[in-house]
Amino acid sequence: MQRIPVTERPDLARAAAEHGLEYTAGEGITGWDERAYYQFMARQVDEDIEAAAEEIEGLCFQIVDRALGNEEVLRRLGIAEPFWDYMAESWRNNEKNLYGRMDLSYDGNGPAKLLEYNADTPTALYETAVFQWEWLEHAIEAGLAPKDSDQFNDVHESIVKALPQLGVGALSHFACNPDIEDDTETLKYLEECAGEAELKTCFLAMSDIGIDDQGRFTDLDHRVITTLIKLYPWEWIMNEDFGLHVPRSGVQFIEPPWKAILSNKGMLALLWGMFEGHPNLLPAFFEDDPAAASFADAGTYVRKPMLSRQGANIEIVRGGKTLHHTDGLYGDDAHIIQGFQPLPEFGGHYPLVGCWLVASKAVGLCIREDKTLVTGRNARIVPHVIAD
Amino acid sequence: MKRWNSVPAALVMSVSLIALTACEEPKVDAAVFESLQQCKDEPGMLADQCEANFNEARNQHAAVAPKYTSQEDCQADFGDGRCEQAPYKTTSGGSVFMPLMMGYMMGSMLGGRSSMISQPLYRPASSPNNFRTADNRSAGSTTGRTRVASSATSRPSFKSSTIRRGGFGSSGRRFGSGAT
Repeated sequence: MQRIPVTERPDLARAAAEHGLEYTAGEGITGWDERAYYQFMARQVDEDIEAAAEEIEGLCFQIVDRALGNEEVLRRLGIAEPFWDYMAESWRNNEKNLYGRMDLSYDGNGPAKLLEYNADTPTALYETAVFQWEWLEHAIEAGLAPKDSDQFNDVHESIVKALPQLGVGALSHFACNPDIEDDTETLKYLEECAGEAELKTCFLAMSDIGIDDQGRFTDLDHRVITTLIKLYPWEWIMNEDFGLHVPRSGVQFIEPPWKAILSNKGMLALLWGMFEGHPNLLPAFFEDDPAAASFADAGTYVRKPMLSRQGANIEIVRGGKTLHHTDGLYGDDAHIIQGFQPLPEFGGHYPLVGCWLVASKAVGLCIREDKTLVTGRNARIVPHVIAD
Repeated sequence: MKRWNSVPAALVMSVSLIALTACEEPKVDAAVFESLQQCKDEPGMLADQCEANFNEARNQHAAVAPKYTSQEDCQADFGDGRCEQAPYKTTSGGSVFMPLMMGYMMGSMLGGRSSMISQPLYRPASSPNNFRTADNRSAGSTTGRTRVASSATSRPSFKSSTIRRGGFGSSGRRFGSGAT
Protein backbone atom coordinates (compact mmCIF):
# COMPACT_ATOMS: atom_id res chain seq x y z
CA MET A 1 0.00 0.00 0.00
CA GLN A 2 1.60 3.20 -1.19
CA ARG A 3 0.48 6.80 -1.47
CA ILE A 4 1.50 8.17 -4.84
CA PRO A 5 1.28 11.93 -5.43
CA VAL A 6 0.11 12.85 -8.93
CA THR A 7 -1.25 15.88 -10.74
CA GLU A 8 -4.97 16.38 -10.79
CA ARG A 9 -6.94 16.59 -14.02
CA PRO A 10 -6.42 19.98 -15.67
CA ASP A 11 -10.14 20.11 -16.44
CA LEU A 12 -11.29 19.11 -12.97
CA ALA A 13 -13.82 21.94 -12.83
CA ARG A 14 -15.48 20.60 -15.96
CA ALA A 15 -15.52 17.03 -14.61
CA ALA A 16 -17.08 18.32 -11.38
CA ALA A 17 -19.79 20.18 -13.28
CA GLU A 18 -20.51 17.14 -15.41
CA HIS A 19 -21.08 15.04 -12.29
CA GLY A 20 -22.87 17.68 -10.27
CA LEU A 21 -20.10 17.85 -7.67
CA GLU A 22 -19.30 21.04 -5.79
CA TYR A 23 -16.12 22.74 -7.05
CA THR A 24 -14.31 25.74 -5.60
CA ALA A 25 -11.40 27.34 -7.45
CA GLY A 26 -8.18 26.79 -5.54
CA GLU A 27 -9.75 24.09 -3.35
CA GLY A 28 -11.02 21.61 -5.90
CA ILE A 29 -13.98 19.31 -5.44
CA THR A 30 -15.56 19.16 -2.00
CA GLY A 31 -14.80 15.80 -0.43
CA TRP A 32 -12.54 14.62 -3.24
CA ASP A 33 -8.77 14.83 -3.73
CA GLU A 34 -6.92 13.37 -6.72
CA ARG A 35 -3.56 14.96 -6.05
CA ALA A 36 -2.56 11.49 -4.88
CA TYR A 37 -3.79 7.92 -5.12
CA TYR A 38 -3.27 4.78 -3.11
CA GLN A 39 -1.83 1.74 -4.80
CA PHE A 40 -2.57 -1.73 -3.44
CA MET A 41 -1.39 -5.15 -4.43
CA ALA A 42 -4.15 -7.52 -5.56
CA ARG A 43 -3.46 -9.78 -2.61
CA GLN A 44 -3.96 -6.95 -0.16
CA VAL A 45 -7.39 -6.12 -1.56
CA ASP A 46 -8.54 -9.72 -2.09
CA GLU A 47 -7.42 -11.16 1.19
CA ASP A 48 -6.98 -8.36 3.68
CA ILE A 49 -10.00 -6.25 2.70
CA GLU A 50 -12.54 -8.07 0.54
CA ALA A 51 -12.41 -11.40 2.33
CA ALA A 52 -12.16 -9.74 5.74
CA ALA A 53 -15.19 -7.53 5.11
CA GLU A 54 -17.34 -10.48 4.08
CA GLU A 55 -16.17 -12.47 7.04
CA ILE A 56 -17.03 -9.59 9.37
CA GLU A 57 -20.46 -9.35 7.72
CA GLY A 58 -21.00 -12.99 8.66
CA LEU A 59 -20.05 -12.24 12.26
CA CYS A 60 -22.41 -9.25 12.24
CA PHE A 61 -25.31 -11.45 11.21
CA GLN A 62 -24.64 -13.72 14.14
CA ILE A 63 -24.71 -10.65 16.37
CA VAL A 64 -28.04 -9.50 14.93
CA ASP A 65 -29.50 -12.96 15.33
CA ARG A 66 -28.53 -13.07 18.97
CA ALA A 67 -29.25 -9.44 19.88
CA LEU A 68 -32.83 -9.49 18.57
CA GLY A 69 -33.74 -12.20 21.04
CA ASN A 70 -32.17 -10.48 24.01
CA GLU A 71 -34.05 -7.70 25.76
CA GLU A 72 -31.07 -6.67 27.84
CA VAL A 73 -28.96 -6.15 24.74
CA LEU A 74 -31.71 -4.24 22.93
CA ARG A 75 -32.12 -2.00 25.95
CA ARG A 76 -28.39 -1.43 26.10
CA LEU A 77 -28.36 -0.38 22.47
CA GLY A 78 -31.01 2.17 23.34
CA ILE A 79 -33.67 0.66 21.10
CA ALA A 80 -37.19 1.41 22.32
CA GLU A 81 -39.39 -1.53 23.23
CA PRO A 82 -42.15 -0.90 20.64
CA PHE A 83 -39.62 -1.81 17.94
CA TRP A 84 -38.26 -5.04 19.34
CA ASP A 85 -40.78 -7.39 17.74
CA TYR A 86 -40.81 -5.35 14.57
CA MET A 87 -37.05 -5.61 14.15
CA ALA A 88 -37.01 -9.29 15.05
CA GLU A 89 -39.72 -9.97 12.49
CA SER A 90 -37.82 -8.14 9.77
CA TRP A 91 -34.89 -10.41 10.49
CA ARG A 92 -36.93 -13.61 10.64
CA ASN A 93 -38.58 -12.69 7.33
CA ASN A 94 -35.20 -12.21 5.70
CA GLU A 95 -35.97 -8.64 4.77
CA LYS A 96 -33.11 -7.83 2.47
CA ASN A 97 -30.32 -5.36 3.00
CA LEU A 98 -28.94 -3.27 0.19
CA TYR A 99 -25.67 -1.71 1.23
CA GLY A 100 -23.21 -0.59 3.86
CA ARG A 101 -19.65 0.59 4.27
CA MET A 102 -17.17 -0.90 6.71
CA ASP A 103 -14.46 1.48 7.87
CA LEU A 104 -11.17 -0.30 8.43
CA SER A 105 -7.80 0.65 9.80
CA TYR A 106 -5.33 -0.91 7.38
CA ASP A 107 -1.75 -0.07 6.48
CA GLY A 108 -1.04 -2.76 3.90
CA ASN A 109 0.25 -5.31 6.38
CA GLY A 110 -1.53 -7.65 8.72
CA PRO A 111 -5.24 -7.88 9.34
CA ALA A 112 -7.47 -4.87 8.73
CA LYS A 113 -9.26 -3.80 11.91
CA LEU A 114 -12.91 -2.85 11.92
CA LEU A 115 -13.32 0.67 13.33
CA GLU A 116 -17.02 0.87 12.59
CA TYR A 117 -19.74 -0.29 10.26
CA ASN A 118 -21.88 2.32 8.52
CA ALA A 119 -24.62 -0.18 7.92
CA ASP A 120 -27.65 2.07 7.66
CA THR A 121 -26.89 5.43 6.01
CA PRO A 122 -23.49 5.32 4.29
CA THR A 123 -22.57 8.09 1.86
CA ALA A 124 -19.65 8.78 -0.52
CA LEU A 125 -21.31 6.23 -2.75
CA TYR A 126 -21.35 8.17 -6.00
CA GLU A 127 -17.76 9.31 -5.62
CA THR A 128 -16.72 5.70 -5.04
CA ALA A 129 -18.82 4.05 -7.70
CA VAL A 130 -18.68 6.51 -10.57
CA PHE A 131 -16.24 9.37 -10.09
CA GLN A 132 -13.40 7.22 -8.83
CA TRP A 133 -13.78 4.86 -11.79
CA GLU A 134 -13.74 7.71 -14.25
CA TRP A 135 -10.58 9.00 -12.60
CA LEU A 136 -8.91 5.61 -13.13
CA GLU A 137 -9.64 5.69 -16.85
CA HIS A 138 -8.07 9.11 -17.02
CA ALA A 139 -5.11 8.12 -14.82
CA ILE A 140 -4.22 5.17 -17.03
CA GLU A 141 -4.59 7.19 -20.19
CA ALA A 142 -2.50 10.06 -18.80
CA GLY A 143 0.18 7.65 -17.57
CA LEU A 144 -0.36 8.56 -13.91
CA ALA A 145 -1.05 4.96 -12.95
CA PRO A 146 0.44 1.73 -14.35
CA LYS A 147 -1.13 0.64 -17.66
CA ASP A 148 -2.54 -2.58 -16.20
CA SER A 149 -4.00 -0.88 -13.14
CA ASP A 150 -7.30 -2.14 -11.83
CA GLN A 151 -9.68 -0.88 -9.18
CA PHE A 152 -11.80 -2.74 -6.63
CA ASN A 153 -15.04 -1.24 -7.82
CA ASP A 154 -18.12 -3.22 -8.84
CA VAL A 155 -20.29 -0.91 -6.80
CA HIS A 156 -22.49 0.50 -9.55
CA GLU A 157 -23.21 -2.79 -11.31
CA SER A 158 -23.86 -4.49 -7.97
CA ILE A 159 -26.42 -1.91 -6.88
CA VAL A 160 -28.24 -1.98 -10.21
CA LYS A 161 -28.38 -5.74 -9.95
CA ALA A 162 -29.40 -5.86 -6.28
CA LEU A 163 -32.19 -3.25 -6.33
CA PRO A 164 -34.75 -5.23 -8.35
CA GLN A 165 -34.08 -8.28 -6.19
CA LEU A 166 -35.15 -6.60 -2.98
CA GLY A 167 -38.80 -7.50 -3.60
CA VAL A 168 -39.87 -3.85 -3.87
CA GLY A 169 -43.41 -2.85 -4.77
CA ALA A 170 -44.67 -1.27 -7.98
CA LEU A 171 -43.37 2.12 -6.87
CA SER A 172 -40.33 2.75 -4.68
CA HIS A 173 -40.10 5.95 -2.69
CA PHE A 174 -36.75 7.54 -1.86
CA ALA A 175 -36.56 9.89 1.13
CA CYS A 176 -33.95 11.90 3.00
CA ASN A 177 -33.39 15.34 4.51
CA PRO A 178 -33.23 17.42 1.29
CA ASP A 179 -31.41 20.28 3.02
CA ILE A 180 -28.23 18.20 3.15
CA GLU A 181 -26.52 18.03 -0.21
CA ASP A 182 -24.37 15.01 0.57
CA ASP A 183 -27.38 12.92 1.63
CA THR A 184 -29.49 14.08 -1.30
CA GLU A 185 -26.76 13.35 -3.85
CA THR A 186 -26.23 9.85 -2.54
CA LEU A 187 -29.93 9.08 -2.57
CA LYS A 188 -30.43 10.61 -6.02
CA TYR A 189 -27.69 8.34 -7.25
CA LEU A 190 -29.46 5.32 -5.77
CA GLU A 191 -32.64 6.49 -7.48
CA GLU A 192 -30.76 6.67 -10.77
CA CYS A 193 -29.57 3.11 -10.25
CA ALA A 194 -33.18 2.07 -9.62
CA GLY A 195 -34.17 3.80 -12.85
CA GLU A 196 -31.46 1.89 -14.66
CA ALA A 197 -32.93 -1.29 -13.18
CA GLU A 198 -36.31 -0.16 -14.60
CA LEU A 199 -37.96 0.41 -11.25
CA LYS A 200 -40.53 3.14 -10.82
CA THR A 201 -39.37 5.73 -8.30
CA CYS A 202 -40.51 8.83 -6.46
CA PHE A 203 -38.21 11.13 -4.46
CA LEU A 204 -39.48 13.07 -1.46
CA ALA A 205 -38.37 14.73 1.76
CA MET A 206 -38.76 12.75 4.98
CA SER A 207 -40.76 15.72 6.27
CA ASP A 208 -43.20 15.43 3.35
CA ILE A 209 -44.27 11.94 4.28
CA GLY A 210 -47.89 11.86 5.39
CA ILE A 211 -50.05 9.38 7.21
CA ASP A 212 -53.61 8.30 6.42
CA ASP A 213 -56.45 7.30 8.71
CA GLN A 214 -55.33 3.69 8.63
CA GLY A 215 -51.75 4.34 9.65
CA ARG A 216 -50.24 4.04 6.20
CA PHE A 217 -47.58 6.44 5.01
CA THR A 218 -48.40 8.50 1.94
CA ASP A 219 -46.54 10.70 -0.52
CA LEU A 220 -47.50 14.16 -1.77
CA ASP A 221 -49.92 12.59 -4.28
CA HIS A 222 -51.61 10.59 -1.49
CA ARG A 223 -50.16 7.42 -2.91
CA VAL A 224 -49.54 4.85 -0.24
CA ILE A 225 -45.84 4.20 0.32
CA THR A 226 -45.01 0.51 0.11
CA THR A 227 -41.22 0.63 -0.26
CA LEU A 228 -39.12 3.37 1.30
CA ILE A 229 -35.44 3.62 0.46
CA LYS A 230 -34.33 6.08 3.08
CA LEU A 231 -31.15 7.92 3.78
CA TYR A 232 -32.27 8.72 7.27
CA PRO A 233 -31.02 6.84 10.33
CA TRP A 234 -33.25 4.27 11.97
CA GLU A 235 -32.76 5.77 15.43
CA TRP A 236 -34.15 9.07 14.15
CA ILE A 237 -37.13 7.40 12.50
CA MET A 238 -37.94 5.52 15.70
CA ASN A 239 -37.74 8.64 17.85
CA GLU A 240 -39.84 10.96 15.71
CA ASP A 241 -43.60 11.62 15.84
CA PHE A 242 -44.50 9.05 13.18
CA GLY A 243 -42.07 6.49 14.56
CA LEU A 244 -44.62 4.46 16.47
CA HIS A 245 -46.68 4.05 13.30
CA VAL A 246 -43.77 2.39 11.50
CA PRO A 247 -44.30 -1.22 12.66
CA ARG A 248 -47.87 -1.39 11.31
CA SER A 249 -47.35 0.87 8.30
CA GLY A 250 -46.81 -2.03 5.93
CA VAL A 251 -43.77 -0.27 4.47
CA GLN A 252 -40.75 -2.23 3.30
CA PHE A 253 -37.77 -0.20 4.46
CA ILE A 254 -34.35 -0.23 2.83
CA GLU A 255 -32.21 -0.65 4.88
CA PRO A 256 -34.45 -3.04 6.83
CA PRO A 257 -35.19 -2.44 10.54
CA TRP A 258 -32.74 -5.11 11.75
CA LYS A 259 -29.90 -2.95 10.41
CA ALA A 260 -30.47 -0.67 13.41
CA ILE A 261 -28.45 -3.20 15.41
CA LEU A 262 -25.45 -2.88 13.10
CA SER A 263 -25.40 0.88 12.66
CA ASN A 264 -25.14 1.23 16.44
CA LYS A 265 -21.55 1.25 17.70
CA GLY A 266 -22.67 -0.86 20.63
CA MET A 267 -22.50 -3.59 18.00
CA LEU A 268 -18.70 -3.39 18.21
CA ALA A 269 -18.90 -4.36 21.88
CA LEU A 270 -21.27 -7.21 21.03
CA LEU A 271 -18.87 -8.40 18.33
CA TRP A 272 -15.94 -8.42 20.71
CA GLY A 273 -18.04 -10.14 23.37
CA MET A 274 -18.89 -12.97 21.01
CA PHE A 275 -15.72 -13.18 18.92
CA GLU A 276 -13.03 -11.90 21.28
CA GLY A 277 -9.60 -12.14 19.68
CA HIS A 278 -10.83 -12.27 16.08
CA PRO A 279 -8.00 -10.79 13.98
CA ASN A 280 -10.24 -8.18 12.32
CA LEU A 281 -11.81 -6.92 15.54
CA LEU A 282 -10.63 -4.47 18.16
CA PRO A 283 -11.49 -4.85 21.83
CA ALA A 284 -14.70 -2.94 22.53
CA PHE A 285 -16.97 -2.60 25.55
CA PHE A 286 -20.10 -0.77 26.58
CA GLU A 287 -18.88 2.08 28.75
CA ASP A 288 -21.04 1.01 31.69
CA ASP A 289 -19.59 -2.49 31.56
CA PRO A 290 -16.99 -3.08 34.34
CA ALA A 291 -14.73 -4.57 31.66
CA ALA A 292 -14.64 -1.12 29.99
CA ALA A 293 -13.22 0.43 33.14
CA SER A 294 -10.49 -2.14 33.50
CA PHE A 295 -9.63 -1.85 29.80
CA ALA A 296 -9.48 1.95 30.04
CA ASP A 297 -7.29 1.67 33.15
CA ALA A 298 -4.43 0.70 30.88
CA GLY A 299 -4.59 4.31 29.63
CA THR A 300 -4.96 3.86 25.88
CA TYR A 301 -8.38 3.63 24.25
CA VAL A 302 -10.96 5.40 22.08
CA ARG A 303 -14.29 6.62 23.44
CA LYS A 304 -17.13 6.86 20.92
CA PRO A 305 -20.84 7.62 21.19
CA MET A 306 -22.97 4.64 20.22
CA LEU A 307 -24.89 6.79 17.76
CA SER A 308 -22.83 9.53 16.18
CA ARG A 309 -22.06 10.55 12.65
CA GLN A 310 -19.06 11.75 10.68
CA GLY A 311 -16.48 11.40 13.41
CA ALA A 312 -18.31 13.54 15.96
CA ASN A 313 -17.62 13.37 19.71
CA ILE A 314 -14.73 10.94 19.52
CA GLU A 315 -11.93 10.99 22.07
CA ILE A 316 -8.60 9.20 21.69
CA VAL A 317 -6.70 8.63 24.91
CA ARG A 318 -3.09 7.44 24.89
CA GLY A 319 -0.94 6.91 27.94
CA GLY A 320 -3.67 8.39 30.12
CA LYS A 321 -3.80 11.65 28.16
CA THR A 322 -6.26 12.89 25.54
CA LEU A 323 -4.43 12.67 22.25
CA HIS A 324 -7.28 13.93 20.10
CA HIS A 325 -10.93 14.73 20.49
CA THR A 326 -13.69 15.97 18.22
CA ASP A 327 -16.75 18.06 19.05
CA GLY A 328 -20.29 17.38 18.05
CA LEU A 329 -23.90 17.03 19.07
CA TYR A 330 -23.74 13.46 20.32
CA GLY A 331 -21.66 13.82 23.48
CA ASP A 332 -24.49 13.20 25.95
CA ASP A 333 -25.40 9.80 24.57
CA ALA A 334 -24.21 6.38 25.69
CA HIS A 335 -20.65 5.50 24.65
CA ILE A 336 -18.42 2.56 23.96
CA ILE A 337 -14.75 2.12 24.77
CA GLN A 338 -12.72 0.68 21.90
CA GLY A 339 -9.11 -0.38 21.49
CA PHE A 340 -6.92 2.21 19.76
CA GLN A 341 -5.66 1.17 16.35
CA PRO A 342 -4.16 4.35 14.85
CA LEU A 343 -4.75 4.94 11.17
CA PRO A 344 -1.53 4.69 9.17
CA GLU A 345 0.12 7.99 8.34
CA PHE A 346 1.42 8.94 4.91
CA GLY A 347 3.11 12.33 5.13
CA GLY A 348 0.48 13.94 7.33
CA HIS A 349 -2.43 12.12 5.70
CA TYR A 350 -4.42 9.48 7.54
CA PRO A 351 -6.26 7.15 5.14
CA LEU A 352 -9.32 5.25 6.30
CA VAL A 353 -10.15 2.25 4.14
CA GLY A 354 -13.87 1.94 3.45
CA CYS A 355 -15.10 -1.34 2.02
CA TRP A 356 -18.52 -1.22 0.36
CA LEU A 357 -20.88 -4.15 0.68
CA VAL A 358 -23.86 -4.56 -1.60
CA ALA A 359 -26.28 -7.36 -0.75
CA SER A 360 -23.64 -8.48 1.76
CA LYS A 361 -20.95 -8.92 -0.87
CA ALA A 362 -17.79 -6.81 -0.73
CA VAL A 363 -17.79 -4.89 -4.00
CA GLY A 364 -15.61 -1.82 -3.76
CA LEU A 365 -13.21 0.42 -1.97
CA CYS A 366 -13.08 4.07 -1.05
CA ILE A 367 -10.22 5.68 0.81
CA ARG A 368 -11.04 8.76 2.82
CA GLU A 369 -8.20 10.94 4.06
CA ASP A 370 -8.17 13.42 6.86
CA LYS A 371 -5.32 15.35 8.45
CA THR A 372 -6.06 13.87 11.87
CA LEU A 373 -6.46 10.42 13.41
CA VAL A 374 -10.23 10.87 13.40
CA THR A 375 -11.85 10.92 9.97
CA GLY A 376 -14.38 13.74 10.11
CA ARG A 377 -16.62 15.75 7.87
CA ASN A 378 -13.65 17.43 6.14
CA ALA A 379 -12.23 14.12 4.97
CA ARG A 380 -11.66 13.77 1.23
CA ILE A 381 -11.90 10.70 -0.91
CA VAL A 382 -8.62 9.77 -2.58
CA PRO A 383 -8.83 7.27 -5.47
CA HIS A 384 -7.07 3.93 -5.45
CA VAL A 385 -5.63 1.49 -7.94
CA ILE A 386 -4.64 -2.15 -7.78
CA ALA A 387 -1.35 -2.97 -9.46
CA ASP A 388 1.21 -5.62 -8.59
CA MET B 1 -15.09 -19.13 -4.26
CA LYS B 2 -11.87 -18.81 -2.44
CA ARG B 3 -13.01 -16.11 -0.12
CA TRP B 4 -15.27 -18.52 1.74
CA ASN B 5 -12.62 -21.18 2.33
CA SER B 6 -11.81 -20.03 5.81
CA VAL B 7 -15.41 -19.54 6.86
CA PRO B 8 -17.21 -22.30 8.72
CA ALA B 9 -20.11 -23.86 6.80
CA ALA B 10 -22.67 -22.73 9.36
CA LEU B 11 -21.67 -19.15 8.77
CA VAL B 12 -21.97 -19.42 5.02
CA MET B 13 -25.51 -20.67 5.51
CA SER B 14 -26.54 -17.81 7.69
CA VAL B 15 -25.11 -15.37 5.20
CA SER B 16 -26.78 -16.96 2.22
CA LEU B 17 -30.16 -16.72 3.94
CA ILE B 18 -29.90 -12.97 3.86
CA ALA B 19 -27.93 -12.38 0.73
CA LEU B 20 -30.61 -13.87 -1.44
CA THR B 21 -29.46 -11.92 -4.42
CA ALA B 22 -29.52 -14.61 -7.03
CA CYS B 23 -32.13 -16.87 -5.49
CA GLU B 24 -35.89 -16.79 -5.56
CA GLU B 25 -37.88 -14.66 -3.21
CA PRO B 26 -38.43 -16.15 0.26
CA LYS B 27 -41.86 -17.55 1.02
CA VAL B 28 -43.82 -16.92 4.17
CA ASP B 29 -46.68 -18.71 5.88
CA ALA B 30 -50.12 -17.46 4.95
CA ALA B 31 -53.71 -18.62 4.80
CA VAL B 32 -55.88 -18.08 1.74
CA PHE B 33 -59.64 -18.60 1.58
CA GLU B 34 -62.33 -18.19 -1.06
CA SER B 35 -64.94 -17.27 1.48
CA LEU B 36 -65.54 -16.64 5.14
CA GLN B 37 -67.27 -20.03 5.40
CA GLN B 38 -64.28 -21.84 3.96
CA CYS B 39 -62.11 -20.30 6.64
CA LYS B 40 -64.50 -21.30 9.41
CA ASP B 41 -64.54 -24.87 8.07
CA GLU B 42 -60.75 -25.11 8.15
CA PRO B 43 -59.60 -27.20 11.12
CA GLY B 44 -57.75 -25.14 13.68
CA MET B 45 -59.15 -21.79 12.56
CA LEU B 46 -61.21 -19.78 15.01
CA ALA B 47 -64.46 -18.36 13.67
CA ASP B 48 -63.75 -14.98 15.29
CA GLN B 49 -60.36 -14.80 13.69
CA CYS B 50 -61.79 -15.74 10.29
CA GLU B 51 -64.41 -13.06 10.59
CA ALA B 52 -62.08 -10.31 11.76
CA ASN B 53 -59.67 -11.02 8.93
CA PHE B 54 -62.40 -11.31 6.35
CA ASN B 55 -63.78 -7.94 7.43
CA GLU B 56 -60.36 -6.34 7.28
CA ALA B 57 -59.90 -7.60 3.71
CA ARG B 58 -63.48 -6.73 2.71
CA ASN B 59 -63.06 -3.20 4.03
CA GLN B 60 -60.03 -2.63 1.87
CA HIS B 61 -61.48 -4.09 -1.29
CA ALA B 62 -63.01 -0.93 -2.76
CA ALA B 63 -59.93 1.13 -2.02
CA VAL B 64 -57.21 -1.20 -3.26
CA ALA B 65 -58.85 -3.11 -6.14
CA PRO B 66 -57.64 -2.27 -9.68
CA LYS B 67 -59.93 0.34 -11.24
CA TYR B 68 -61.33 0.62 -14.75
CA THR B 69 -63.46 3.20 -16.50
CA SER B 70 -65.32 0.58 -18.54
CA GLN B 71 -66.97 -2.70 -17.63
CA GLU B 72 -65.48 -4.32 -20.77
CA ASP B 73 -61.89 -3.46 -19.84
CA CYS B 74 -62.41 -4.83 -16.36
CA GLN B 75 -64.00 -8.04 -17.67
CA ALA B 76 -61.18 -8.47 -20.16
CA ASP B 77 -58.80 -8.74 -17.22
CA PHE B 78 -61.01 -10.55 -14.72
CA GLY B 79 -63.65 -12.41 -16.72
CA ASP B 80 -67.30 -12.00 -17.66
CA GLY B 81 -69.57 -11.26 -14.75
CA ARG B 82 -66.62 -10.82 -12.41
CA CYS B 83 -66.62 -7.04 -12.16
CA GLU B 84 -68.72 -4.63 -10.18
CA GLN B 85 -69.22 -0.92 -9.97
CA ALA B 86 -66.87 0.81 -7.57
CA PRO B 87 -68.27 3.31 -5.05
CA TYR B 88 -66.43 6.10 -6.88
CA LYS B 89 -67.02 8.35 -9.87
CA THR B 90 -64.44 9.67 -12.28
CA THR B 91 -63.83 13.42 -12.11
CA SER B 92 -66.22 13.81 -15.06
CA GLY B 93 -68.90 11.81 -13.25
CA GLY B 94 -68.43 8.50 -15.09
CA SER B 95 -68.68 5.07 -13.48
CA VAL B 96 -65.68 3.20 -12.15
CA PHE B 97 -65.41 -0.60 -12.27
CA MET B 98 -63.37 -3.06 -10.28
CA PRO B 99 -63.09 -6.85 -10.06
CA LEU B 100 -65.15 -8.79 -7.52
CA MET B 101 -63.29 -9.87 -4.45
CA MET B 102 -62.81 -13.63 -4.93
CA GLY B 103 -61.07 -14.49 -1.69
CA TYR B 104 -58.83 -13.16 0.98
CA MET B 105 -55.45 -13.70 2.53
CA MET B 106 -55.36 -13.70 6.30
CA GLY B 107 -53.02 -11.43 8.16
CA SER B 108 -52.85 -12.33 11.82
CA MET B 109 -52.87 -16.01 12.54
CA LEU B 110 -50.97 -18.30 14.80
CA GLY B 111 -47.33 -18.30 13.78
CA GLY B 112 -47.82 -15.65 11.11
CA ARG B 113 -46.24 -12.22 11.12
CA SER B 114 -48.19 -9.96 13.40
CA SER B 115 -47.68 -6.87 11.28
CA MET B 116 -49.05 -8.59 8.18
CA ILE B 117 -52.48 -7.37 7.19
CA SER B 118 -55.41 -9.21 5.67
CA GLN B 119 -56.14 -8.38 2.08
CA PRO B 120 -58.63 -9.15 -0.66
CA LEU B 121 -57.68 -11.47 -3.52
CA TYR B 122 -58.77 -11.56 -7.14
CA ARG B 123 -58.74 -14.12 -9.93
CA PRO B 124 -57.40 -12.98 -13.31
CA ALA B 125 -59.26 -14.11 -16.46
CA SER B 126 -55.97 -15.37 -17.88
CA SER B 127 -55.51 -17.91 -15.07
CA PRO B 128 -58.79 -18.21 -13.20
CA ASN B 129 -57.50 -20.83 -10.78
CA ASN B 130 -54.93 -18.49 -9.35
CA PHE B 131 -55.24 -15.74 -6.83
CA ARG B 132 -53.63 -12.33 -7.32
CA THR B 133 -53.37 -9.51 -4.82
CA ALA B 134 -54.67 -6.03 -5.61
CA ASP B 135 -51.10 -5.17 -6.59
CA ASN B 136 -51.08 -8.07 -9.05
CA ARG B 137 -48.77 -10.31 -7.08
CA SER B 138 -49.36 -14.04 -7.16
CA ALA B 139 -50.88 -15.61 -4.05
CA GLY B 140 -50.87 -19.08 -5.59
CA SER B 141 -53.88 -21.33 -6.19
CA THR B 142 -53.95 -23.22 -2.89
CA THR B 143 -56.61 -22.46 -0.32
CA GLY B 144 -56.18 -23.07 3.38
CA ARG B 145 -52.76 -22.84 4.99
CA THR B 146 -50.16 -22.18 2.34
CA ARG B 147 -46.94 -20.35 1.62
CA VAL B 148 -46.75 -17.32 -0.60
CA ALA B 149 -43.95 -15.04 -1.80
CA SER B 150 -43.31 -12.51 0.93
CA SER B 151 -43.94 -9.62 -1.48
CA ALA B 152 -47.53 -10.85 -1.88
CA THR B 153 -48.10 -10.17 1.81
CA SER B 154 -47.20 -6.49 1.63
CA ARG B 155 -50.00 -4.07 2.06
CA PRO B 156 -51.72 -3.34 -1.25
CA SER B 157 -51.41 0.21 -2.54
CA PHE B 158 -54.20 2.64 -3.21
CA LYS B 159 -55.02 6.31 -3.42
CA SER B 160 -55.48 7.37 0.11
CA SER B 161 -56.40 10.51 1.98
CA THR B 162 -53.54 11.90 4.00
CA ILE B 163 -54.62 13.16 7.40
CA ARG B 164 -51.32 14.56 8.61
CA ARG B 165 -47.78 15.32 7.40
CA GLY B 166 -44.51 16.30 9.00
CA GLY B 167 -44.17 13.48 11.52
CA PHE B 168 -40.69 12.78 10.19
CA GLY B 169 -37.77 15.14 9.75
CA SER B 170 -37.24 16.70 13.17
CA SER B 171 -33.92 14.91 13.87
CA GLY B 172 -32.60 15.98 10.48
CA ARG B 173 -33.41 19.57 11.32
CA ARG B 174 -31.54 19.19 14.60
CA PHE B 175 -28.51 17.13 13.57
CA GLY B 176 -28.16 17.88 9.86
CA SER B 177 -26.73 15.04 7.86
CA GLY B 178 -27.83 11.51 8.55
CA ALA B 179 -24.82 10.18 6.70
CA THR B 180 -22.06 8.07 8.15
